[in-house]
Amino acid sequence: MARHKILIAIIGISIITAFWITYVTLNPDQNGTGMMKFLSVYELRATQESSRVRLGGKVATGSIIISATDKLDASFDLAQGEASIPVKFYGTRPDLFKDDAEIIVEGNYHSGMFNADQLQVKCASRYEGTLRDESSYNLDEL
Amino acid sequence: MIPVFGGLSLSLALGLSFIAFIILFLFIRTGDYRFYLAGWRSVVMVSLFSILATLLLLNELIQSNFDVDYVAHYTSLETPLLYKVTALWAGQAGSLLFWLFILSIYCLIVLFQNRNKYTQLMPWVILVLVSIQFFFLIITNFVANPFSPTDVNFIVANGNGLNPLLQNLTMSIHPPTLYLGYVGFSVPFAFAIAALITGDTSPLWIRSIRRWTLIVWMFQSAGVILGGWWAYQELGWGGYWAWDPVENASFMPWLTGTAFLHSIIIQEKKDMLRIWNIVLIVLTFSLCIFGTFLTRSGVMSSVHSFTASNLGPLFLGYVFFNLFISFGLIIYRKSDFKSKRRIKSFTSRESGFLFNNVIFVIICFAVFWGTIFPVISEAVTGTKITVGAPFFNQVTIPIGLFLLFMTGVGPILVWRRTSKQAFIRNFSLPIAFGLVSLLGGIIIGMSGYVIISFALIGFVTAVILEEFIRGIRSRRKVQNETVITALISMVRKNRSRYGGYIVHLGIVFMFVGFTGRAFNQELEFSIKKGQFQKFGSYQFEFISLQELERPNHFAWVAGLNVWNDQNEIITRLSPEKRIYFHRDPNPDRRQPHSELSIFSTVFKDIYSIFSGIDIEQEIAYIKIMINPLVWWVWLGGWVLVAGTLIALWPHKE
Repeated sequence: MARHKILIAIIGISIITAFWITYVTLNPDQNGTGMMKFLSVYELRATQESSRVRLGGKVATGSIIISATDKLDASFDLAQGEASIPVKFYGTRPDLFKDDAEIIVEGNYHSGMFNADQLQVKCASRYEGTLRDESSYNLDEL
Repeated sequence: MIPVFGGLSLSLALGLSFIAFIILFLFIRTGDYRFYLAGWRSVVMVSLFSILATLLLLNELIQSNFDVDYVAHYTSLETPLLYKVTALWAGQAGSLLFWLFILSIYCLIVLFQNRNKYTQLMPWVILVLVSIQFFFLIITNFVANPFSPTDVNFIVANGNGLNPLLQNLTMSIHPPTLYLGYVGFSVPFAFAIAALITGDTSPLWIRSIRRWTLIVWMFQSAGVILGGWWAYQELGWGGYWAWDPVENASFMPWLTGTAFLHSIIIQEKKDMLRIWNIVLIVLTFSLCIFGTFLTRSGVMSSVHSFTASNLGPLFLGYVFFNLFISFGLIIYRKSDFKSKRRIKSFTSRESGFLFNNVIFVIICFAVFWGTIFPVISEAVTGTKITVGAPFFNQVTIPIGLFLLFMTGVGPILVWRRTSKQAFIRNFSLPIAFGLVSLLGGIIIGMSGYVIISFALIGFVTAVILEEFIRGIRSRRKVQNETVITALISMVRKNRSRYGGYIVHLGIVFMFVGFTGRAFNQELEFSIKKGQFQKFGSYQFEFISLQELERPNHFAWVAGLNVWNDQNEIITRLSPEKRIYFHRDPNPDRRQPHSELSIFSTVFKDIYSIFSGIDIEQEIAYIKIMINPLVWWVWLGGWVLVAGTLIALWPHKE
């Protein structure tokens, strides 16, 4: 008897949680931060997606403009190859944010402008790249 | 020369591990004890060579031998000694060698501790362990060799240096602690496989690894918590847990490991759940390897993962290989391992344990689902999806709260069957406590999950206190002791039980901290020297801006006085803006870094970030966060470790 009760209870719990997980997967919370599409610059320009998305790309060299009155206010271009999208971001920027940094922003794309409220920088290439730099020199050049 | 010896040790270890494998097989075929001894000794040698290789790499790191690519990548001449040591696990090749290093130490412990014990199980245990070593030796020899030299065309005058984010005291203990946990699950796994192969259905294998599992579990818990602590102090987004794939990777085996820790009690005491226990440990070990895969393969982009590499398929293949063999064996032995005993009642402690297990596995599945969903979705629909923290919070909070509820219910259920009277007697006080906290919460104006969480916290705390008080009372009735001596002798007599309750208390404290997250506040502002900024009931006064040069970086230190609403200064915060590698001639390679300053109290943390600076106008850009109750998460962690230590403390013979 007890065995059946327990079995039923366990199956019950599993079914309920399975439904719960499916529900949350299909209906992420209202502001759409739970699950987002992760697009590249090309893809976003092609689809003109207006819901909240993540966008990855490189900060176009020389495009960063920081407001003279408020240093938290920044705008820049996010580039992928030839294509780019202008981005606005207000807030504390990560330490590694600079020209050419590979970054991911989160926010909405609206009439040609991406309004981001999250900005992440991919890990510094310093630790993964090759060792060619000023502190090393090429034997052939000696 | 030394790097050559390092590489050579790794090759020798690989060769020997292969030989050990064959010799042990021969022993199992022939039963000739000499083969066993030879195999045993070869595994000792494999372990010693692996340890030697690690020590040699460590030596190179300390000596800054930039001819070794790994050393040049992760250290520089300016790197402080401590961080030269921690660079051992900062990169891919080193961290995989470090995995092998810990496994080898564990291997030696197992070999010597069980020299004359478990004669049936041990050959297989050793075989499984050496096969894991073999896997990691293949990787460190051929795929990610930490001794590979720097490009021959270059002379590296100075190395890259360690990422400033990793130059933090907590970060120097978080990875090794976590690894001690992660890697340690290999041993219970090896025993489980040995039990399966030999068909030994007795709880013998459980008994031999119970203490081991507890130690490993403690390291893993501490490792996960330390990771959160590091993130909180260093990453500057004000939180300690982001549901990053790699955080999940460390959390998933913790969940199944915790379930395992509970359910082996049932097998030991009641000889039930035999197959279930093996399934759990197989899952835990596989999740540990899977975690290493997530961290090291670059499948998921995350703060932890290294660049994409060809390690992915190898690790994934290894996980599947393990699962295939293990579940094959489980199916093969299924009928032998069927327990004859049955759970007698729905309201018994056995069934309580079983439900606890089910919940743990379900949470693990939910986390797993969220973690791999991006991969599945990309494969099926072609669009990349990122699953963020809100998803995980939404899914796991209700299940987690149910688990918290079970933490309270479990201990007061009685073995076999809980009678109605016992039910009323044991539950009335905790339920009253829970209701009081519920009402208190409503009066303060809380709602939603927060209020349920606080009610459950009250309930579970009452359960634990009741257990202690009841025990002390019954001792004092018989023994006429003071409360303190009664408490001490009671805990001493039943360490695992009361140690367990203390661990539960630690978990409750952590839930207090988690719940506090609902009240986090933050403000970003710019401030001129001498000005005030109001935030909540506090005033922040920017009093000083100092410039400092330290050996490995340059720093601006902001001095912020924090005033409360009684016009008293409660603390001075000094967040820093640092520039690492500030002497690097190429300005692009200098690296800014924000060092936080946190004022922590029982009730709330004031968390400050120096995010930007305008030197000419002496304006600082500051972000302040007020994070209530975070302190409890760390307290809970300490209590958890203390409880485990009490449970582990050896009995006097």
